[in-house]
Amino acid sequence: MSDPLFAHGVGLAVILIVLVKVVVAFAALLVCTMLMVWFERKVISDMQNRIGPNRAGPYGLLQSLADGTKLFFKEDLLPEKADRFVFRLAPLLAVIPAFLIFAVVPVGGVVTIAHHVVELQVADPPMGILYLLALSSVAVYGVMLAGWSSGSKYPLLGSVRASAQMISYEAALGLTVVTVVLESHSLSTRAIIQSQSHHFWQWNVLRLGIVPFAIFMIASTAEMNRPPFDLAEGESELGGGFNTEYSSLRFALFYLAEFMNTITMSAVAVTLFFGGPDGPGFHVVRWLWPILWFLGKTVAFCYVQVWIRASLPRMRYDQLMDLGWKRLIPLSLGWLLVVAGFIVSVAWGAALFGAGVLAAVLLYQSIRVGRRRRESLAAAMAAAAVPRPRPGGNRQGPVDLRPLAGTGKVGT
Amino acid sequence: MGSLDSYLPIFILFVLALAFAGLSIVASKLLAPQRPTSAKEAPYECGIVPAEAPPQRFPVRFYLVAMIFVIFDIEIIFLFPWAVVYNQLGRFGLVEIIVFAASVFFSFLYLVANGALDWGPVKRVRPVASEQSRTTTSTVRRVGHGTGEAA
Repeated sequence: MSDPLFAHGVGLAVILIVLVKVVVAFAALLVCTMLMVWFERKVISDMQNRIGPNRAGPYGLLQSLADGTKLFFKEDLLPEKADRFVFRLAPLLAVIPAFLIFAVVPVGGVVTIAHHVVELQVADPPMGILYLLALSSVAVYGVMLAGWSSGSKYPLLGSVRASAQMISYEAALGLTVVTVVLESHSLSTRAIIQSQSHHFWQWNVLRLGIVPFAIFMIASTAEMNRPPFDLAEGESELGGGFNTEYSSLRFALFYLAEFMNTITMSAVAVTLFFGGPDGPGFHVVRWLWPILWFLGKTVAFCYVQVWIRASLPRMRYDQLMDLGWKRLIPLSLGWLLVVAGFIVSVAWGAALFGAGVLAAVLLYQSIRVGRRRRESLAAAMAAAAVPRPRPGGNRQGPVDLRPLAGTGKVGT
Repeated sequence: MGSLDSYLPIFILFVLALAFAGLSIVASKLLAPQRPTSAKEAPYECGIVPAEAPPQRFPVRFYLVAMIFVIFDIEIIFLFPWAVVYNQLGRFGLVEIIVFAASVFFSFLYLVANGALDWGPVKRVRPVASEQSRTTTSTVRRVGHGTGEAA
């Protein structure tokens, strides 16, 4: 059930293996994040018919390194109205969970090193999935506190929006993850990939129907504040969003966390729905193939994320919340019940599917009732406040100052 | 301590991530210039000098969403252990979760029907101003006399 590495106690060899795993994962994650920044900029510029970064290094590969180095030398500003402690804490709260979430993602198969069975993932706690959801909730604090502690209007608005959005989509995300757990009977990520190994038709994306996967993709995009759900940083209305007041390295940490989360969420989608490192292998270097499969699938998902960003316009806030609450959450709950029904028997599944259609009709009706209520309320309020004909008539015309003439408010 | 052993790598990774973030902040302290001015430290509003403090009050909807989220989150928390042992529970587990989900769903319907999750402005219901000055032959709007147009 739990990590076989610790089955015979913790000795020196085990500690060494753990250290190597952690350091390798840490370094790989940092390098991959830098490559991801480059990849995203390059792909987007291709899609927009531009060249993109091409100066630092071959094909501009070292551009993110150059940008990061530059940010070390930039002045770190602390706004005068900021809550100094929380302002400094918030980037840490964003970047540390980004590192930690990746720990439970299985990147390869199981190998034996010096008589120790080693799973190729940083850690395999028995409740890996709950750990993942918990840390993605902690990431909300980074965004929330960053905006709140800045002591500035637009970051505050951005962070309130972002936290409402993130918790809304977290519900849909959690429900799809429960659907996956229904098939794997375990919360450990290793058990989840083992439950869908050997054949691609056992991957959860097909086994559970496409719907949970689609909901997961939408919800995780919203959870990461990526376009088209990046209302937290709507430049046109909020300056720069929750991290407007951050400069220098603290900004770099937010940026790092954002791109690291993109990689991690792609890897988690691969783990939950696409069999993780599962794929045909060959007898040459057996341990290498699963890693290659995992990397290939993850890069494909990263590409899809960039593609989504390049293609879709940003949503409006009410559309965003409507999509999350009124469509994704009921749909994921209903699909969960249907999957549970089909596990018991086909009859139960079909009956629950019918009930789900009925529930969708009920939901549609109640949305209509809610809208009509609001409209009638608004109409009543509009009728109560009868529009007064303004002195002088037209709004666009010159203001008529005659009524104020004797009051001393205007000079005549 | 057997069950906590598997968290050892996570703890080491945590220490490493903390060290990375801390060291880079220290490095930027040492490398970056420190020349704050009052203009740099003022809240950034694209060049406009802020006239008022950031708002302390927010639309009630945000609080509502937070509370409704708690309901759903608790539901999800209950679903996880249920999903792990679902195969042993069988039909009993299914019926039980249907009852649970139905009760949550109907309260959700109540919330939606009351407009608790509606965002954005409602459709404007405005009294239609009589546009007598506009005819099919002339769309020039005459201002200042006549109907006293509702603003």
